[in-house]
Amino acid sequence: MKLAHTIETLRSNLKTLKRVMIVFLAVLVVFDLLLSREDAHFLIDKIYAYWAIFGTIGCFVLIKFSKGIAHMFLGKDEDFYE
Amino acid sequence: MNSWLHPALFFFLGSLLLPFFQGKARKAILLLIPVLAIIAVATAEQGIYGQYRFLNVDGVFGRVDKLSLIFAWVFTIMAFLGALYALHKEESGHHIAGFLYVGSSLGAIFAGDYFTLFIFWEIMAFSSVFLIWYRRTKKSLDAGFRYLLVHVFGGLLFFTGMMLYYYKTGSFAFEGIAPGNAGLAEYLILWGFALNAAVLPLHAWLPDAYPEATVEGAVFLCAFTTKTAVYVLARGFAGFEVLAIMGTAMTVFGVCYAVIENDIRRVLAYHIISQVGYMVAGIGIGTHLALNGAAAHAFAHILYKALLFMGAGAVLYMTGTAKLTQLGGLFKTMPLTMIFYIVGAVSIAGFPLFSGFVSKSMIVAAAHQEGRLWLMNLLNLAGIGTFLSVGLKVTYFAFFGKGEPVTAKEPPSNMLWAMGITSLLCLVIGVYPDSLYILLPFASDYRPYNLHHLSEALQILSFTGLVFFLLLSKLGPEEKINLDVDYFYRKAVSFFLKFDDKVIAVFDDLWGELYRTLGLRALFKSAEMSYGFDRKAIDGIVDGSAASTVKLGATVRGLQTGRIQTYIALSLVIFFVVVLLFAVV
Repeated sequence: MKLAHTIETLRSNLKTLKRVMIVFLAVLVVFDLLLSREDAHFLIDKIYAYWAIFGTIGCFVLIKFSKGIAHMFLGKDEDFYE
Repeated sequence: MNSWLHPALFFFLGSLLLPFFQGKARKAILLLIPVLAIIAVATAEQGIYGQYRFLNVDGVFGRVDKLSLIFAWVFTIMAFLGALYALHKEESGHHIAGFLYVGSSLGAIFAGDYFTLFIFWEIMAFSSVFLIWYRRTKKSLDAGFRYLLVHVFGGLLFFTGMMLYYYKTGSFAFEGIAPGNAGLAEYLILWGFALNAAVLPLHAWLPDAYPEATVEGAVFLCAFTTKTAVYVLARGFAGFEVLAIMGTAMTVFGVCYAVIENDIRRVLAYHIISQVGYMVAGIGIGTHLALNGAAAHAFAHILYKALLFMGAGAVLYMTGTAKLTQLGGLFKTMPLTMIFYIVGAVSIAGFPLFSGFVSKSMIVAAAHQEGRLWLMNLLNLAGIGTFLSVGLKVTYFAFFGKGEPVTAKEPPSNMLWAMGITSLLCLVIGVYPDSLYILLPFASDYRPYNLHHLSEALQILSFTGLVFFLLLSKLGPEEKINLDVDYFYRKAVSFFLKFDDKVIAVFDDLWGELYRTLGLRALFKSAEMSYGFDRKAIDGIVDGSAASTVKLGATVRGLQTGRIQTYIALSLVIFFVVVLLFAVV
């Protein structure tokens, strides 16, 4: 299986993969800095890399919040209703 | 009057044909019927068809306009893909239920009045429940009954509202309602519709029932009920502020649960709530761009959510479980399924070149355009959760994680073909958005591929990916279920059963004892007397009529097969004949 082989290769080169991803993130931020802000109506349109910050904080909060309430009281054993 | 073939007719007739065919002939029918329906939709001209008068009610079977047509397009396409995916299924009852369900959904979206809509609305509920029951487990039986009860409750809300509406206006006509004019009647109808759209807090039936459905049935279920509800909300309640707020709440609520659920199909079911939330929010915002977005998103969503359910179903079908805690490493044994699932996942997450990118963004852009920045931010927060749960979490833990399922190989070829075609459609819509935009109800010059939107989407998705890998150790799936509001009615039922067992049963026993000792003796005596009177006097007078009744009974018994599908199909045919007779007269 070619695909499985490719995935195995990527797995054994995690360090390189990580570096590539970090460069990609940096490129995205730089790309956003270069975009024109002339048509911006609202404050969030003017902030540089707003959605990168939003994505980072939002994802962090979502994970912490959801896992938090699951551990606090939502999570029950699978036979809870039986 | 110009002629028009209602696409639902094909499905109803098909469901009558199915029991008589086996093997290849049945497979041909299963695929041919949706194709005929697609042709009927493609050749339909806009207009009003099938007006009838029944019990002093003016009904309309076919209101064909751009809004109903876009839903009809995706419903019929989905029916084909769903039938292809379910082709290997032996039980003809399952296929019949599927066809009745699709047919009644089509009936509902073309209905021009509340009366016709209500009939199809109820057939939808009663046919779709079989797609859950055919799983044939205790859990699915129970979940099916709860599903039915909740939908009967929703139907009652709708019915009460519809009657009050008739009392108020003297008409059942189903038209757009201005938010300022809405009273009790309109809001009852609204909440009846909202229950089917799984709007909070009337949503718990969905993640309760869909994960218990059959592998093939879930693919149908995830497409039709909620999207029919989206259609009727868009038709009747555009611009209602409550929908904008509840819809946005749904988007975030759904992803929070999707992040913590363990069973893939439960993750996906909660995620339907989130996705339908986008559509409901779009309807609530109510501008042309927002309504276009709701319709476009419904179209795109049906395809990629079905694709995801197909992928999850294939995993369940081949490994016997869909729990992330028991899965992992499937990339080695089910690579095609993985590719198709990932196409669904990046479509739903809104990656550029995939369908979610061109549909979801219309609703977000509409919120932005109207200056509803809170809504916009929350919708994008839900977008983060979408990629996090359906995209990253499920893909990582099912296909790449450490576990190694005992038996796994690719599913049957019909399943793979269904997933492949659906994947292709997701890609086509993403690359050529005009193929979808051409069907939209309002004229629009919205262009999804601009630099700002690309930058926004890629930033959100990529940084979500970053945090996912940073917090990977915190995200492991757990062998748990999570409480939801169905807790209240499920616990209420068990409380009632206990009450029944302890209190009512004791009283019942006492009463039974009393009855046996005192009542029965007198009853036997009087029965003896009346029997004698009946034989000698009455049958003597009406001479022989009893005997002929017995004969007729034997004939009718032949029709009573004891199979409830047959009854539903039979009553549908009778209903159509009666309505057509009245329409002609």
